[in-house]
Amino acid sequence: MGQINVINALVLRETRTRFGHHQLGYAWALAEPALMILTFLGMFAVAGRQPASDMDSFGYMATGILPYLLFSKTTVQVSQAINGNKGLLFYPQVKPLDVVFARIALEFSTYVVVFLLLMGANVMLRHEVSVSDPLLIAVGFALASLLGAGLGLIFMGLGQLSNVTERARGPLMRPFFWVSGLFFTVDSLSPRFQEMVVYNPVIHPVELVRAGWFSTYDDTYTNIPYALQCALWMILIGLALEVVTRRRIEVT
Amino acid sequence: MIELRHITKAYQTPFGPNVVLNDINVALPTGESIGILGKNGAGKSTLLRIIGGAEMPDLGKVYTDGQVSWPIGFSGGFSGALTGEDNCRFVARIYGQNVDRVTDETRAFADIGRYFYMPIRTYSSGMKARLAFGMSMAIDFSVYLVDEVTAVGDANFKKKCQEAFSDRSERSSIIMVSHSPDTIRQYCSRCAVLNRGGLELFPSVDEAYERYAAYQAGDVI
Repeated sequence: MGQINVINALVLRETRTRFGHHQLGYAWALAEPALMILTFLGMFAVAGRQPASDMDSFGYMATGILPYLLFSKTTVQVSQAINGNKGLLFYPQVKPLDVVFARIALEFSTYVVVFLLLMGANVMLRHEVSVSDPLLIAVGFALASLLGAGLGLIFMGLGQLSNVTERARGPLMRPFFWVSGLFFTVDSLSPRFQEMVVYNPVIHPVELVRAGWFSTYDDTYTNIPYALQCALWMILIGLALEVVTRRRIEVT
Repeated sequence: MIELRHITKAYQTPFGPNVVLNDINVALPTGESIGILGKNGAGKSTLLRIIGGAEMPDLGKVYTDGQVSWPIGFSGGFSGALTGEDNCRFVARIYGQNVDRVTDETRAFADIGRYFYMPIRTYSSGMKARLAFGMSMAIDFSVYLVDEVTAVGDANFKKKCQEAFSDRSERSSIIMVSHSPDTIRQYCSRCAVLNRGGLELFPSVDEAYERYAAYQAGDVI
C-alpha cells in the first residue's frame, strides 16, 4: 500500500512540476497537440490534400496525431524517469519503477482528456456525432501507451549503460512520425507498402482510434495481438535492463 | 540495530574501478548515536546513502529496524520548480504522514517566512538546508542519517538543530558522517572510522579519533 501512496504523490508532484501553479499550465497541455494538429491541417490545405472517403480533416488529423503523441511522449517521459528525477531517489520509498508508473499514468490521462476535449469541440462545431466504437478508441490509446512504456523502459535501461542513448533517442524515434499513419491510412497504400507498414506496431493504435471514431473506416489491417506482443516484449526487455542496471544508479 | 552485511561498492573511473566500500560487515547499535569519521573521498556519503536505501550497493544488504531517514544535509530531493510547501507535501505523502501536520511543523521549524511558498530555485543553500532539516524533524524517524548538517547554516540554526536532536534523543538516534571529530563529539557517544573501504567501530570517539589520526599521519595503513 506504501507504493500506491508513493505513485499517487509522484503523479501529483509531476502534475505540479509540468503544468505549474497556473491554470494556463493545463491549457498548454491542450494547446500543444492542438497547435500541431492545426499546423498539419494548414499544410494539408495548402497541398490540396483531402482525407479519404467521408472523414473530416480535423478528425482525421486528431485521431492520428493524438495516439502518436501519447506513444512518443510516454517514450520520452519514461526514458527520462531516472535521470530526470535523481533527487527523488534519495527517498528510499521512491523506486525508479514508481516514477515510471506515475509518468505513464499522467501521460495517459492527459491525452485521454485532450482527446475528449478536442474531439468534443469538433463534434459540437460540426453538429454531428460519429463515434463508431468507443472500445476500439480505448484499446488504441492503451496500446499506444504500452508501446511507449516498453520503448521508454528500453531507453531508460540503455541510458544507464551509456549516455549516448539520450542523444540517439530523438533521431531513432523520428521515423515513427512518418510511418505511423498520421498522414496516410493503411487502406490507401499499395499492397506492397501495406505489408511493410504493418510491421510498425505504432500504426495499429492509430488505425484503431480512427476505426473507433469513423464508422466507415476500413481497419482490416490492424492486428491487436501483434501490437500487444511487441509492447509486452519491449516491456519485458526494458524491465530486465532495469534490473541489470539498477545497482549502477548514482544518486547525487 | 542497523546491520551491514558484505556491503561492497565500487565506482567506475577511467583508471579502473575505485572500490570505496569493501565487504563491510558491521552491526551499528541504534540505541546510541554513532559518528563515522573518514577523510574526504573515503566513501562516507556513499555509505550513508546506502544505509538510507537511496543507493544500492554492488553487493551485500543492509538490515534495519525502525524508520531510517534520508541523508540529511543533502541538497537533492527537492524539485526547483516546486515551492517549499509542495515539496513538503510530497515528502509527507510518500512517508504516509498527515500532510497538514508535516507542513505546519516544517514551516515552523524552517522559519524561512514567505519563501516557504516560493519555488525552491529561489532559495539560498542555507534556506534549502533549513527546509530539509525541518522536514526531517516533522517526520518522526528512529534513526537520523546526518551528512554534516552542521556545516550549513548560521550559528543560530546549528544550535536549533542540536537542540532538536537532544529533545528527541530518547526516541531517536543519529548516525553522522564527518571528517571533523569535534562535530561528531557534540552529537555522538560512539564512533567508527571509514578507511580504505573498511569500517571499524570503536567504543568511544577518542579511541576512534586516535585511529583516524594515525591513518591520516600514515602510521597505520
